[in-house]
Amino acid sequence: MQYCLGVDIGSLTTKVVLVNEERNIVSWATKRSGYSGKEHAFKLIDTLLTEEDIPRDKVIKTIATGYGRITFPADREVSEITCQAKGVSHLFSQARTIIDIGGQDSKVIKILPGGKVIDFAMNDKCAAGTGRFLEVMANALEVEIDELGGLADKAQNTCSISSFCTVFAESEVISHVAAGASKQDIVAGVSYSVAERVAAMTAGIGLEPELVFTGGVARNGGVAKALSDHLSTDIKIPENPVITAALGAALIGIVS
Amino acid sequence: MTEKRYRKLDSTKQLEKIMTRYYVLSRHHRFWGKPINRPLAWVTSGAPVELLRSFDIHPVYPENYGAICGSRKASSQLCQVAENAGYSQDLCSYARSHIGSILRPDLAPMKGLPRPDLLITCGNICGTVLKWYEALARIFDVPLLIIDTPYLTGDMTNRAQDYVHTQLQDMVATLENITGRSYNQTKVEEAISFSKETISLWTDIRSLCKNTPSPLNAPDLFIHMAPIVVLRGTKQAVNYYKLLKAEVQQRVEQRESAINGEKIRLVWDNIAIWYNLYPFFKMFSERSACFVTDTYSGGWAMELEQGDPLESLAKTYTEIFLNRSAEFRAQQLINFVTDYNADGFVMHSNRSCKPYSLVQGVIRRKVMAETGVPGLLIEADMADQRVFAEEPTRNRVQAFLETVEAI
Repeated sequence: MQYCLGVDIGSLTTKVVLVNEERNIVSWATKRSGYSGKEHAFKLIDTLLTEEDIPRDKVIKTIATGYGRITFPADREVSEITCQAKGVSHLFSQARTIIDIGGQDSKVIKILPGGKVIDFAMNDKCAAGTGRFLEVMANALEVEIDELGGLADKAQNTCSISSFCTVFAESEVISHVAAGASKQDIVAGVSYSVAERVAAMTAGIGLEPELVFTGGVARNGGVAKALSDHLSTDIKIPENPVITAALGAALIGIVS
Repeated sequence: MTEKRYRKLDSTKQLEKIMTRYYVLSRHHRFWGKPINRPLAWVTSGAPVELLRSFDIHPVYPENYGAICGSRKASSQLCQVAENAGYSQDLCSYARSHIGSILRPDLAPMKGLPRPDLLITCGNICGTVLKWYEALARIFDVPLLIIDTPYLTGDMTNRAQDYVHTQLQDMVATLENITGRSYNQTKVEEAISFSKETISLWTDIRSLCKNTPSPLNAPDLFIHMAPIVVLRGTKQAVNYYKLLKAEVQQRVEQRESAINGEKIRLVWDNIAIWYNLYPFFKMFSERSACFVTDTYSGGWAMELEQGDPLESLAKTYTEIFLNRSAEFRAQQLINFVTDYNADGFVMHSNRSCKPYSLVQGVIRRKVMAETGVPGLLIEADMADQRVFAEEPTRNRVQAFLETVEAI
């Protein structure tokens, strides 16, 4: 059996996925990128191969993607857009639109059956509608990022966060705190704000079902619900929404 | 990845020579212009310069100067000077660079432009030029002549043409007053005839890029369009484009391409990213993608109408593409994609140039739907490099080219 590795070095998290020649996921691992995503990727690969007891020479290709793709010594580097499309299409054959919200960018990708990209849009030079935006708001509210989804679920109302600018939105959150609003209601407002921004980008390229939501933020139920409300459509979320681009990269290795 | 070297045209030497000569003459104009009553005018790029030439007015183009400031990476600093003086960061970076160069000539390329005797602005390219030139008129206390061209939602109308024609007649009277010369139809016709010949040569040169491989890439078009802007209506421009056409024709005959191993043919929309011209297009050429045509340098390939000179100028300068509807501009891009056999198009959403950029979203969707080729929108600015974000741009370009190549 031969294998391919997909390495996605993102702004916040490094992900590694190992697939076999039958295009099945054998194993995967993630770690916060920190100062050197490349070093973390090497360690993750070592750990994966050791745990699975796969000799290195059985890995025929390594494909890199994400912001760290250029410095990683892979057989080929491919953009996250292309990888994301391949990965999602592999998991959801009916997928036609992908919303990916990662650490520092959010993207909307329109694909054909088989995962060919036909159009995409990304946020530009601004952290609104990204994972980083949520991190800043979680900090302001003194809650963990993973708690945001649960808090939004319990909201009675949705506080209005009107500013797209992360810094100004943080001031708005602080004003809501000062005015005595509940954390739950503020978190619902924050989730709504991210969803609003991304929904506008989706409208720009046109939404076609099925819609699949990936990236770290897809684990946040509050944002997923707000997105689904905004776009009036069902949203599919992969079991592990963080590794889809790395999966796509590994799959590109199998075919190329 | 193999290095895709930029192939400079031999004509570039002559281009540099005539552009240097033009700027040196402009700089020294004050020594001889005043005594023989030949005013120096600052004019917008879409102004009917043929009429000005007939009155022996020497035109100088602040927009071309803005592009020079951008290319020499002087714009950001000059823009900050203008911003500190109260001009908003949301204003056009050509306007801010130029106003900055007036306030701080020590920071400006060529120490700024030579002082104007006269200002002429034409609203066919944007609305900013009106307020920009009003500010200039206040600074220099010199006459400001305005031509107001109504925006064309559809085809040209008689009313619009009459309206602009009347303004040109008024302008003739004003220029007679200012220069002390009488209107001389033969001289206007002579300038128009030089313009026509220049336009025809530029159109031919652009058309040669329909060949595969293309003899020119976008940076070539952007660099070599300078004379059709600043020397429009002169014999020098005609001579230059004859030389350039011969060289481009020769490239075609020898199947010499602008970039090594052209595989992807693209169309460009909007003004160049001047401070990053070669590195930006290298992101494409190193992946074998060549920009075979563009809407920007094509803006000066509009044919001048036959007939009465003032009527012809009224029609031509009102019909400039930036003064036209989104439908017109989408069709123009569709024709480029089809005629040049392009695999995709790239739109520069230029923070400075609102009329060029605001409708790009609509145009992009229409062109993609009708041609079936993908289109990429990149956010940047023509001169102010503070707006350019390298990594996100590189990311989009790579993803787009992968889409074109259908990975």
